[in-house]
Amino acid sequence: MTVDKQTTEPGVEREAGGPPAPTQRKITAVLGLDRFSGLYVWAVLILIFSLWVPDLFLTANNARIIAGSQAITAMVAMGLIVPVACGAFDLSIAGTLGVSVCTVIWFQANHHGWALGIVVALLVGLAVGLVNAFIVVRLHVDSFIGTLGMSSILLAGTEWITGGGQIANGVSATFTGIGQNQVWGLPLPVFYMVALAIVLWWLLEYTPIGRYLYGIGGNPQAARLAGIRVGRVTTGAFLLSGLVAAFSGVVLAAQLGSASPDVGGPFLLPAFSAVFLGATQVFPGRVNVPGTLIAIFLLATGVKGLQLAGAPSYINDLFNGAALIIAVALAARAYASQRKA
Amino acid sequence: MTPALNVTKMSKSFAGPRVLDGVSLSIEPGEIRALVGENGSGKSTLIKILAGFHLPDEGSAEVDGQPLRLGDGTSSEGLGLRFVHQDLGLVNNLDAVDNLALGVGYSSFRGGIRWRQERKRARKALADLGYHFDVRRTVDRLAMSERTALAVARAMGPRATPPKVLILDEPTANLPAAEAQRLFQLARRVADSGVAVVFVSHHFDEVFGLAQSVTVLRDGQHVITRPVAGLTEDGLIELVIGRQLEQVQHDAKAAERRAVVLEAAGLGCGVLDNVDFAVHAGEIVGVAGITGSGRDEIARALFGGLDRTGEVTVNGAAVPKLRPDKAMAMGMGLVPAERHANAAFMTSTLRENITVVRPGTHWRGGILRKSAERSDVARWLERLDVRPRKPEFTMADLSGGNQQKVVLARWLRLEPKVLVLDEPTQGVDVGAKSDIHTLIDEAAAQGTAVLVASTDHEELVRLCHRVLVMRRGRIAEEISGGRMDHDVITAATIGRDQADAA
Repeated sequence: MTVDKQTTEPGVEREAGGPPAPTQRKITAVLGLDRFSGLYVWAVLILIFSLWVPDLFLTANNARIIAGSQAITAMVAMGLIVPVACGAFDLSIAGTLGVSVCTVIWFQANHHGWALGIVVALLVGLAVGLVNAFIVVRLHVDSFIGTLGMSSILLAGTEWITGGGQIANGVSATFTGIGQNQVWGLPLPVFYMVALAIVLWWLLEYTPIGRYLYGIGGNPQAARLAGIRVGRVTTGAFLLSGLVAAFSGVVLAAQLGSASPDVGGPFLLPAFSAVFLGATQVFPGRVNVPGTLIAIFLLATGVKGLQLAGAPSYINDLFNGAALIIAVALAARAYASQRKA
Repeated sequence: MTPALNVTKMSKSFAGPRVLDGVSLSIEPGEIRALVGENGSGKSTLIKILAGFHLPDEGSAEVDGQPLRLGDGTSSEGLGLRFVHQDLGLVNNLDAVDNLALGVGYSSFRGGIRWRQERKRARKALADLGYHFDVRRTVDRLAMSERTALAVARAMGPRATPPKVLILDEPTANLPAAEAQRLFQLARRVADSGVAVVFVSHHFDEVFGLAQSVTVLRDGQHVITRPVAGLTEDGLIELVIGRQLEQVQHDAKAAERRAVVLEAAGLGCGVLDNVDFAVHAGEIVGVAGITGSGRDEIARALFGGLDRTGEVTVNGAAVPKLRPDKAMAMGMGLVPAERHANAAFMTSTLRENITVVRPGTHWRGGILRKSAERSDVARWLERLDVRPRKPEFTMADLSGGNQQKVVLARWLRLEPKVLVLDEPTQGVDVGAKSDIHTLIDEAAAQGTAVLVASTDHEELVRLCHRVLVMRRGRIAEEISGGRMDHDVITAATIGRDQADAA
């Protein structure tokens, strides 16, 4: 008798050849319902609010406000995609954003010039990424815990830089122009967002690095045994999320023209929501750039529409939270039923 | 005297052939009985029936004269059957006291655990077995034999009824030789207290060193139960495999000797101890061995998946340890065992699964050319006859055999100089298995040096020019030419160590 243990793997040992759930897959695939459901929901939301509050909602100005106000969140979220793709959380992005805002404003308030401020702010972002990577890769601290600690440290940093209050003096008009000027009727940050989206989309989809990131996120052990330098790639991911968060901070500082210690915090949850909601879109099951953008603008449209229709201000957080849970739960369900087929 | 355990005509089948066929046996209190047989001979099925995990088709069992309610785990425990399974079932991040309390609970006083009393009790339970270590150390900081002792202490620990039969399922599989000796003393102490000990082992030197009697199972049937005294090792091997050793033999593939490609010198890793070997271009070398012999580590140690000592060279250039990327760059490829854990990206596409090693081949002008990549992958899927032949399907859509082909394609695409395969047809259906064997042959024919570690000895006979047989971390034998045979390999893996015999 041979040592042939035919281990059966449930759900995997089925007949080869048949695509999963053929008929259902076909119908939804033609309409793109499985991959672009967010776009449909977005269209429906726009339609609803256009009928409900036409004179307030369906205006160029409103579109501009939504685009401008979400550019920072979108950039932070896109930076976050990179570590999440390789299975690491970076909870320190909001802290990095805050430190960056405070740094670049502090440099101007102390007459060191905004250009130097930007350079230092970006270097601080890279340094935070490097320390995060050291904690996670070398010290083997779980990324959730490591970056949570880091975000608290960064909050302390913003308190220290600002002295606990707001700084707004000495901010150059050239600098605020970076965040407030408009081109073709759209605020500049929208263009930064688009540029960043293109770069990250290219990085994740059209470079070997992107493959390595998703490979590590999918199965770190298999990635290692496929010759991928897991530690090095993870380090790069943290560096990139730190840099992007710092850059977003510079743009936010230019938008606001001032710095206060609590400036970063409110960006954390929306960024995470957008990334995970985005993972149900375009390339279901993996975090990705276009999905994240769809998620951001879907949520922003819903929130803005409700506000214009007279909903109270707490609707923002309520809508974001509920949408995230519902979307991810639906995606998990679809995924489970596909696996069962 | 009432036997401690009496099993009568036990049979069991799982959708098809009988894996256990009318097995009867009887063990006296205080007796140490070895239970031996090849993998698939029915040993584990019998043990799982006694543990109440499987319900047998027919048969009965009594413990100390009391009938066992079959298929009922509480009955088996209630009558005094105690088990130590191969994985020991300990919780690694808890200490000895907590592990002993698992399933039994703690002694408490007004809702609080009486820690001092618990620790004292744990120390005593281990001291009774001849072990003295800090009971507050967590399991992952204990030596392997200490863990085994802890598992035995837990099995022997206080329950509603005193223990009557202790069943040890391959307890030494993961133990170095010196620690195995301590376990023997432990088993003798248990037996001296009047408990019958059933000892499943592939190490025949242990059977001769420890057991008073031996029961041999083969193909689900009881072959013989007899005293160990008067039995030779060759005799026992023949009982286990059911044939005389020299009976069936055919020639191994003859290999023309070409240049050495892969060479290991003084290789050490886990139980692997100072192993030397070389694989020539175009040669397929097999590695056989039972669990714990070093077979499990060898592939990953070579590739850098596990830390190692010693030198590994490819075409004379040293491969640094723990650097799979370097090994890969130097022309080595690894198809690891346990595809799901070590090789497959289940939610990624077949395209990404194949090109994950060196995706840069389709990188032109700063962009990964996906259409070129897709047609490249489609070619490989066709060459390996992967079904469905769809580069954009995810790995999870495929059967086990097709997944394994994808993992193989991943490395064949790079045309490696050295291909290391660990259990290449694990969990793979018969058709895919034969395809995979053909592909391995083809790779070797093109000059790749191939090393195959496998527990499937038919597979080794089918593929290899020669087979290295591992025992206790060393190469104990090399089988080639006319001796290449399934039974010869099996016998060699379980044979007595030359060093022990001396």
